Amino acid sequence: MDLSGKTAIVGAFESTRRDAPRVHPFALQMDCILGALDDAGLALKDVDGLCAASGDWAEGGGTMDVIELAEYIGITPTYVNSTDVGGCSYIMQAGQAAAAIATGLAEVVVISYAACPRWWPLNTPSFDPFVFPAGPGQYEIPYAPTLISTYGLFARRHMDLYGTTPEQLAQVAVTFRNHAIQNPHARLRKPITVDDVLASPMIASPLHRLDCCVVTDGGGAVVMTSRERARDLKKKPVYLAGYGAAVARTQNSQIPDDLKTPAALSGPRAFAMAGVTHDDIDVAQIYDAFTVTPMLALEDLGFCGRGESGSFVADGNLTLGGRLPSNTDGGGLSSNHPGKRGIFTLIESVRQLRGEGPGVQVPDAKVAMAHGLGGTFCSAATAILAV
Amino acid sequence: MTAPTTAMFTLPVQDETSAPFWEAAREGRFLIQRCPETGRYQWYPRAHSIHAPHARPEWVEASGRGELLSHSVVHRGNQPGDPYVCALIRLEEGVTVFSRVEGIAENDLRAGLPLAVAFHSLDDSTSLPVFRPRTAAQGIEA
Repeated sequence: MDLSGKTAIVGAFESTRRDAPRVHPFALQMDCILGALDDAGLALKDVDGLCAASGDWAEGGGTMDVIELAEYIGITPTYVNSTDVGGCSYIMQAGQAAAAIATGLAEVVVISYAACPRWWPLNTPSFDPFVFPAGPGQYEIPYAPTLISTYGLFARRHMDLYGTTPEQLAQVAVTFRNHAIQNPHARLRKPITVDDVLASPMIASPLHRLDCCVVTDGGGAVVMTSRERARDLKKKPVYLAGYGAAVARTQNSQIPDDLKTPAALSGPRAFAMAGVTHDDIDVAQIYDAFTVTPMLALEDLGFCGRGESGSFVADGNLTLGGRLPSNTDGGGLSSNHPGKRGIFTLIESVRQLRGEGPGVQVPDAKVAMAHGLGGTFCSAATAILAV
Repeated sequence: MTAPTTAMFTLPVQDETSAPFWEAAREGRFLIQRCPETGRYQWYPRAHSIHAPHARPEWVEASGRGELLSHSVVHRGNQPGDPYVCALIRLEEGVTVFSRVEGIAENDLRAGLPLAVAFHSLDDSTSLPVFRPRTAAQGIEA
């Protein structure tokens, strides 16, 4: 069965909040779910499928998060998915929801996310692989790696292998900041220079503070349904044309010598399903937790050659008017990043394809790519969306 | 450099599979695993061979020598004690381990730096391997 074009995103909503003091993440999710349903012209009673990954720190739920969330919302969905592979979970859930819709398991699926790290008061134990000192983690966690230091290991080796420079990394932050300046909801909107990035405090070498994403509260949701039902709804359907995903590793010791990430598997699958080439992508949302994050994705997805992402970025390819205008809302580096940003890559793709981008808008965009990773390049999911 | 204290390190949860590794570490020896069928090494230790999934890996003592593959100096860490150096080290046996590098200035860290294992005793049950620049006696020429 060919899944391409069988389903569509029919509603999308991003909370404009960046600080939500004392708001429980479930309350924020409810705002987003109602917003996305309203965008689609649907009601909560139409929803029979729910996708969420809300069980980590500051997300409000626990190991049965999707049940907790369904109960809070007040629905009893007959299709659920709580796949949690880190930041790209919601892109992966979109692909799985499409399969569920296309095979009749569900009709209207909501994919939802919110987190409130800025005020979350509980220091409850997390069981994610980056803090858990048992099993594989017993050989790494005692050394207190941080998420940022693992991205630092990738960035340092990329520099050694390919001559990538701190200035090229910084250019990623500068590029997306320029997009955020146009987005009234973006967390950071002051113009920055490469020198500003390099002068900001070192967090985990070679990554400076401005090489890192913002930390905001926030949330978002999308609604998916079948191609047939999508035609009758309020907004122009955004079809899921292609999808691919893969998971690879969690431990630092398993980082491959050539720094290849699971995006090298998710990307080709998504492009093949959609039947498009790189030149067909009008606009891209590429997960940018740190400046090195989208750089490796560009290489693994094939937008540039191995080791060439530094010059690809420095040459202006990611800016509006460039070959691959990316992170048009300002991305995680400047707009918002509550923890798992994948949902926003879907939402901004939808907005771009409808001409509703809150930041910079690519004129007449027809094909968009939403690409995310999870953890520290542990997982990857790629969606090609089209109108 | 001040001596590390237990409070600066999360203790590993030792288990049936890993017991020989931590036991050897207490004696100052660094063990890795080898597949009995293919002869290939693996890290991290598991109850099975990733090269021949039905085979049980055997423990072998590693040379304890390796070279720096990549590193990140943590200036804003999860725990007290920063800055400290998180690193990937390629052992002579060909496997990559994650550890800390100590006893060297940040500016002297570079890929290919010859390293040798050293051990911090955290408590009666745990000695934690770390890596330090190799001395002449440890064979600076790899």
